Amino acid sequence: MNRKKSEKVFFLIIVIGLMQLLPVTNAWAVPSFARQTGLPCASCHTVFPELTPFGRLFKLGGYTMSKSSKPYELPPPLAGMAQISYTDFKGLTSCVAPFDKTNRATDKINLPQQLSLFYGGRIYDKIGAFVQVSYDGVDNKVYLDMTDIRYSNNTILWDKNLIYGLTLNNSPTVQDPWNTIPAWGFPFASSSVASNPAAGTIIHGALDQQVGGIGANVFWNNFIYAGATFYRTTSNGIYKPLSIGTATEQVVEGTAPYWRLAIEHRWKNHFFTIGTYGMRANIFPSGYNSGPADHFTDVAFDAQYQFMGTIEPEDTPDNGKPKPKAQKYNITAHATWIHENQDWKASFPIGNTANPNSFLNTFRMNFNYCYKSHLGDINESVSYFSVTGKTDPLLYSSVPVDGSITGSPNSNGFILETDYLPWEKVKISLQYVIYNKFNGAQSNYDGYGRNASDNNTLYAVVWFMF
Amino acid sequence: MKRSILVILSCFFVVALTARYGFAQSENSIKGKTLYTNKCQFCHGIRGDGKGPAAEPLMRHPADFTDPKFWQEDVVEKIDVTLKSGKEMMPAFDLKPDEIKAITWYISHTFKKETQYNK
Repeated sequence: MNRKKSEKVFFLIIVIGLMQLLPVTNAWAVPSFARQTGLPCASCHTVFPELTPFGRLFKLGGYTMSKSSKPYELPPPLAGMAQISYTDFKGLTSCVAPFDKTNRATDKINLPQQLSLFYGGRIYDKIGAFVQVSYDGVDNKVYLDMTDIRYSNNTILWDKNLIYGLTLNNSPTVQDPWNTIPAWGFPFASSSVASNPAAGTIIHGALDQQVGGIGANVFWNNFIYAGATFYRTTSNGIYKPLSIGTATEQVVEGTAPYWRLAIEHRWKNHFFTIGTYGMRANIFPSGYNSGPADHFTDVAFDAQYQFMGTIEPEDTPDNGKPKPKAQKYNITAHATWIHENQDWKASFPIGNTANPNSFLNTFRMNFNYCYKSHLGDINESVSYFSVTGKTDPLLYSSVPVDGSITGSPNSNGFILETDYLPWEKVKISLQYVIYNKFNGAQSNYDGYGRNASDNNTLYAVVWFMF
Repeated sequence: MKRSILVILSCFFVVALTARYGFAQSENSIKGKTLYTNKCQFCHGIRGDGKGPAAEPLMRHPADFTDPKFWQEDVVEKIDVTLKSGKEMMPAFDLKPDEIKAITWYISHTFKKETQYNK
């Protein structure tokens, strides 16, 4: 690193340090939500960004819950985030992104990995928003990240509460309040420079910031949740502003519907959820925005269990017995299985795929244990993931590191993660990703002598929220 | 004649007072309802029974304004203190005294049975 780069790194560290000294009264997950509600972050998050049952309702309430009597927030509910990270796996260099002018995609140190500015909170009355504008330190670009603008209200239907609302968003599943779905699922942060399996479903991030959609959702009796959103491409039309800074590489033909159905049940401090979600999208092959399109149908099932032991137990009758003490830990388990049918109506005739149709199955599950000590919160997570699908030597071709010699998309492995929050606004995560199989094989999976274990990734990231 | 004028004036005075009182009540009612709907309803519920949509995940349920026990103490002070200082999961609200008064008026006139109301 030359002197100029060192000066820039030093300057960035100083800026992030000074941000921590900003005169905020409280520190929270997205701190503007907490400043707006007057509630501590633990009300809505176990370990951010994972939501508690109350946090899910805050989201379904359209981010509008506020302690202010005015119908708007003054000052506006703004917040910020900085992530700096270190990644280590075979093939990375010791350079620092974004100061490396040659190839930032192989830099071990990302300083920052990401900077974000949030508008998080009420816009007016019953309309609120979560809007994230990010700077990506590896791609060296500024773009509109996750965006979810909501309207929400509540009434009584069949003698029970009904929350109903509308959403305008730019990433399928971002509107969902559970952490089983792709947009908000585990791992909550991952390396920008690590190698990832070649195959992934459409609903798992492929259309993020490349579509815009309007949808509606209802949650009746704190029991049944149903939602639907209809997405269109951001390559043109009214949704174009929702992809500012992101090139629309996946152009959706017409409207792509997304659906969601979930059931939540509470038993004492235990919260159970099972659900289904999915999407159907016709997408033009890469480089096309007209003509025939490939058809994708994703159908997913998910389940979540949450034990909320950090909230005071319910009042006991005044019978002289001491009240039970609040538990200082919570447990969350998530699982989601996605099946994707792929009909290559456009790609097969032009020779992009070897099969006229194929499929992908992905499975993810994770278990989080969070202990809240007087020295800070400690969270331990373990996760298993797998991708299986039909072999296709054209779709998954043999290229170094990211390719497959067998043409198989099959990958699986584990993620181990430890998070430490010395303060509510700082999260230090250490993550290790272990691959048993990568793009179809354990050894020499790419045909260039690389083994699955060569992609095992050590990733350390520090989040600052302010 | 004098008597008639006196009667008319008295009637006018009574009507004006009633109208003013009614207007004040209606103003309080509208303001209170708006504030209750925006600030309280999500937890305390449309029916004021402490069973709003956001009450379900809370370990301690929000106050039930339909419960006679709630009205046994000095309710005006209780609501005033709770709104200003917060309580457990309920945050302290940035409300002016007249707004707190309007909420209190709305809660006591909407959810409490008339026979229990003594404030």
